[in-house]
Amino acid sequence: MAKDDEKKPTAADKGKGKAVNGDAEKEVKKDKDGKPIQDDKKGALPAEELSEEDQQLKSELDMLVERILESDTKLYKPALETIKDLIKTSTSSMTAVPKPLKFLRPHYETLEKAYESWPAGDNKKSFADMLSVLGMTYSDEDRLDCLKYRLQAPSTDLGAWGHEYMRHLALEIGKEFQTRLNDDKSTDDITDLALTLVPFFLKHNAEADAVDILSELEMIDAIEQYLDENTYSRVCLYMVSTVPLLTYPDNDKFLRTAYQIYRKYNQYTQAIVLAIRLNDRDLIEETFNSTDDKAIRRQIAFLIARQRIWIDVSDDEDSELQECVNNTRLPDHFKALGKELNILDPKTPDDIYKTHLESSRTAGLTNTDSARHNLASAFVNAFVNAGFGNDKMMLVSENKNSWVWKTKDEGMMSTAASLGMLMQWDIEMGLDKIDPYTNVSEDHIKAGAMLATGIINSGVRMDSDPAMALLGDDTNLANKNVSIRMASIMGLGLAYAGSNKEELLEFLLPIVSDTSLDMQLSAMAALSLGMIFVGSANGDVADALITTLMDEDRMKQLKDKWTRFMALGLALLFFGQQEEVEVILETLKALEHPMSKPTSVLAEVCAWAGTGAVLKIQQLLHICNDHIEDDSEEKKGDELLQSYAVIGLSLVAMGEDVGQDMILRTFGHLMHYGEANIRKAVPLAMGLISPSNPQMKVYDTLSRYSHDNDNDVAINAIFAMGLLGAGTNNARLAQLLRQLASYYHRDPNALFMVRIAQGLLHMGKGTLSVNPFHTDRQVLSRVAAAGLLTVLVSLIDAKQFILGDSHYLLYFLATAITPRFLITLDEDLKPLTVNVRVGQAVDIVGQAGRPKTITGWQTQSTPVLLAYGERAELEDEKYLSLSNVLEGVVILRKNPEWED
Amino acid sequence: MGANQSSAGGGPPGGDGKDKKDKKDKPKYEPPPQPTTRIGRRKRKAAGPSAAAKLPTVYPTARCKLRYLRMQRIHDHLLLEEEYVENQERIRKAKAANSSTPASAGGDSDAIDRNADERSRVDDMRGSPMGVGNLEELIDDDHAIVSSATGPEYYVSIMSFVDKDLLEPGASILLHHKSVSVVGVLTEDSDPLVSVMKLDKAPTESYADIGGLESQIQEVREAVELPLLHPELYEEMGIKPPKGVILYGAPGTGKTLLAKAVANQTSATFLRIVGSELIQKYLGDGPRLVRQLFQVAAEHAPSIVFIDEIDAIGTKRYESTSGGEREIQRTMLELLNQLDGFDDRGDVKVVMATNKIETLDPALIRPGRIDRKILFENPDRKEATKKKIFTLHTSKMSLNEDVDLDEFISQKDDLSGADIKAICSEAGLMALRERRMRVQMDDFRAARERVLKTKSEGEPEGLYL
Repeated sequence: MAKDDEKKPTAADKGKGKAVNGDAEKEVKKDKDGKPIQDDKKGALPAEELSEEDQQLKSELDMLVERILESDTKLYKPALETIKDLIKTSTSSMTAVPKPLKFLRPHYETLEKAYESWPAGDNKKSFADMLSVLGMTYSDEDRLDCLKYRLQAPSTDLGAWGHEYMRHLALEIGKEFQTRLNDDKSTDDITDLALTLVPFFLKHNAEADAVDILSELEMIDAIEQYLDENTYSRVCLYMVSTVPLLTYPDNDKFLRTAYQIYRKYNQYTQAIVLAIRLNDRDLIEETFNSTDDKAIRRQIAFLIARQRIWIDVSDDEDSELQECVNNTRLPDHFKALGKELNILDPKTPDDIYKTHLESSRTAGLTNTDSARHNLASAFVNAFVNAGFGNDKMMLVSENKNSWVWKTKDEGMMSTAASLGMLMQWDIEMGLDKIDPYTNVSEDHIKAGAMLATGIINSGVRMDSDPAMALLGDDTNLANKNVSIRMASIMGLGLAYAGSNKEELLEFLLPIVSDTSLDMQLSAMAALSLGMIFVGSANGDVADALITTLMDEDRMKQLKDKWTRFMALGLALLFFGQQEEVEVILETLKALEHPMSKPTSVLAEVCAWAGTGAVLKIQQLLHICNDHIEDDSEEKKGDELLQSYAVIGLSLVAMGEDVGQDMILRTFGHLMHYGEANIRKAVPLAMGLISPSNPQMKVYDTLSRYSHDNDNDVAINAIFAMGLLGAGTNNARLAQLLRQLASYYHRDPNALFMVRIAQGLLHMGKGTLSVNPFHTDRQVLSRVAAAGLLTVLVSLIDAKQFILGDSHYLLYFLATAITPRFLITLDEDLKPLTVNVRVGQAVDIVGQAGRPKTITGWQTQSTPVLLAYGERAELEDEKYLSLSNVLEGVVILRKNPEWED
Repeated sequence: MGANQSSAGGGPPGGDGKDKKDKKDKPKYEPPPQPTTRIGRRKRKAAGPSAAAKLPTVYPTARCKLRYLRMQRIHDHLLLEEEYVENQERIRKAKAANSSTPASAGGDSDAIDRNADERSRVDDMRGSPMGVGNLEELIDDDHAIVSSATGPEYYVSIMSFVDKDLLEPGASILLHHKSVSVVGVLTEDSDPLVSVMKLDKAPTESYADIGGLESQIQEVREAVELPLLHPELYEEMGIKPPKGVILYGAPGTGKTLLAKAVANQTSATFLRIVGSELIQKYLGDGPRLVRQLFQVAAEHAPSIVFIDEIDAIGTKRYESTSGGEREIQRTMLELLNQLDGFDDRGDVKVVMATNKIETLDPALIRPGRIDRKILFENPDRKEATKKKIFTLHTSKMSLNEDVDLDEFISQKDDLSGADIKAICSEAGLMALRERRMRVQMDDFRAARERVLKTKSEGEPEGLYL
């Protein structure tokens, strides 16, 4: 009969029994025909109008219950068995309670009483077994009968009761665990029970349930022992995607457990990604050294290099390994991509502006301030041709024709610095090109050359440390010209961002603590230190910065506009450090100054960046609650405080998808109710939430804000639009920006910003990204986020910095710029062309079967571009990828089993 | 979305800079062409600023902690939002109270007055009576081509107070009686015919009123109700839930009855239509009705569409010269598209009923459109079913003691559910005729004779008569 098949929990639970069910029930009836309850076949139907079979089943169950209640112990065992059998074979559809359970309901309480009276023994255990199942359906939520009786019946074959029962049991175990934990009782028995459930879940493709129950019981690390080759990947995937929603210490535990599992199954690249996420240097090195496979070590090196972590492997026998860690080949790869896409030809700003497409009546009216216009062109030129190493304005044959001479004062500095961006990553060539500019008499140009040196070195490393040699030189770092000094400091910050290089302390710390210096220099030194030691919570630097902020002599300077960068430097030190920041916050509380509160907010949001912590978001929103109306000097700090809080909202929320979406709604409200200082920060925050990811819903809103009556809001919205589309060539954004260019043709500030935004949009001719999340959007690059944050902080008062004469602050974006490509190499690091499918990534967590990870793909041959939210996979299995995420530089190994 | 430039003066593009410098001293500020929004296109749900206000969808659909955590995160964010907005509203009110106390407490009523004033002014502008027309085409932000029922099409302006987001080609609009300019939008753009189909009052028949048909009930519930209630079950299994079912079988076997029971039981929107209703007088009206039917269903999702007597439009396609015939076929083609066309309909389930499944077009009932074909048979195969039907119909009748229904049940008559019902009511009528208060066994026997006789009258007894 079909009964045995029907026993399978899956079949019963999923309601897929189809028509068989009707028959099956009928069969049950016939099987039991011999029983004495058949007599009343013709009897009138009871009030509920049960059908024939139901009636029969009911009376049979009634009879069995009678037997249990009676004193004849011999009948107990068969009666219990029969009831269990009936329950197990009832194959109801999912739409209704199984019938036997329904009919047993009235007897539940009497059965419970009977159970109490029974003597201990096998029968009692068997009885408890049954009551446990009944308890699932009948008892009140908080009685947890299911669990209670289950504990009294030493587990037999739990799985036979079906999936639904197992899940219910898991639920009750979780609840009971919490209550027991509150009452300080022992939890051994239920944890033991839970551990018996886990293998069942894993066997039945319910890895989510297995992880859930273990995390309820706070013993997620136990899962490792139950996994095997087939299940570990799904379990790890589920665990890793749960992490952003968990709080400390659960998230840490999850990541560490997943890390251990990956290590166990030799998934080095996946393990290293988690180690990077954990920001644990020991783990990173442990993974790195855990394999002797040369190619895998190189692949790991690429992943580490992507996060800009500096580790030293110079004593390794593999000479090319150091190159991998240093990103030295990055410019070659990038140019190979450019060659493949046929975009090596330089573009001029006019190619980007496409003024002929602007509304005709306004075109050409714009050149009211030509120096400024030229400066904008220099920026656009730098962004658009970034990394390609050739252009039509700066790298011309004769120095005299260089675009530098078409700009004035600080403009010259920014223009000269644009060389760095043009030659980015290509240190040797770049330094040659910059060299002529260092010998010019004009101080601004010299300063620009210093900055350019810093930019070139950003993201790549050379053993000879040219940046430190050049910029750290006393003629530059201690130059009497403020601009040159400033540029050298900034250059060091850019070049060594995220490096934790101790040697730099002796260069920069004196500048911070020297109270006789301008705030500008000290603040910039602090910021550079913040960039270099980002997220390291370096004690020396933190002490120095705090002392400076507390220093009596500095007090009068703290009102300087540059002070915010000192604060930012301090904040960056604690990037992603979460609780670690509390010490600093306490210290800052003691500081009696309007700047102390903004500083602490900045430090706090940096510490919690990318966590999605709702409590922090709540705190920040509370900060935004007040309305600041009087314009007094005292309130300046509070205004800044609120602006930081708004940017902080997006910095905290950016770590996880749900928060990213939801925070946009909050921004709408902030825009509606907020005062000017909040309003001008909102567009920036919206830009930060999805950089290089032009989502329609965001840029539609930004496009509205870009026509705001408040000029500051409009300018920031324009920049945010640029940031949103940075490096994507998004046509719709390009059109919106062109419309804005003609709208603002009389407003030099806004027009300047439109040009910058256009430059950003076409950054690297559409091959770059500034999104701080990488490796399948799993890892937050601290360096990139720090760079973005610096630019945004300077834009809160755009008129004092970017639109004033400190436009070179825009170059802090350099740390965030990375090519959004996929390059495939063979094991000897030679470029390899293979076909890959590129498509929209699909979230496959918790889905049944083996769903496709991408959708709507196109097949292309490497190197290819990957847009935000896109994923690639290899077309065939001729090669095996050493990295599980096809992004950035990937090493392929020939599949030994492949046959042509 | 095409942001087609709406500037009227679209002069030659790319005039060079020097040319324009002459106009440099033009004093007047000119606003640029507004970035045109998604005018002229169907509203897309996933686009536009309103999309930013939509809640993100939560994956995975399976029951698990990850889903719970994600939902909780959304919940937390919503709470934060609420808190913020409440705080702000309170602050605003407090401020308003502070500033308006000196100016007497007339602030509120002032605002009301102003609102009413503005409203009446808008009403004046709208004029009365207003014509009802159809929006044919949007030219730009302020102009459109409209047609009215009387025939001619006009190029008219759109009043500024009209909500342009609601305007889309084909919408019903209010027109000023003289200038014919657009003064309002009638949002309910579906045919009143369709809204009639929506079932407001659930039928009284429930599953308990169906005798037998257990397996059919189960199949229908699995295919129609379960996907609407527990979509996650299908997701976990990794299959797509069925889109629709077709109920077929001899007349009187309870197809419509089952549909009624589904309507009675479900909390989803239930739309019912008869196939013949889709045949309309004018060309194109039938397909349009089908489209609107499914549009209404999608708007009110989750919903169940029940199409009775589908063979009225769903017969096999063949060469036909008759215009009417072709129109019916086109209606069916529209139905095919709605069932499994390009657009995903989401939570819309279709139930069809027919007693001539063999005449239906194979395309209509292929898997993917109709995933389950459920056969309804006469109950004579199973005695229990017959008995159930008899007891159902006789349960409310006053029967004499000598009535033993088993006699009829054991007879091998070819009776459908409807026939059984007919026997019961016939027997009741007989009893009435003789002014008895109870129905006797004899009545039933006579009734059975009559029903069987009338039943066989319709069809020839045998081939050789």
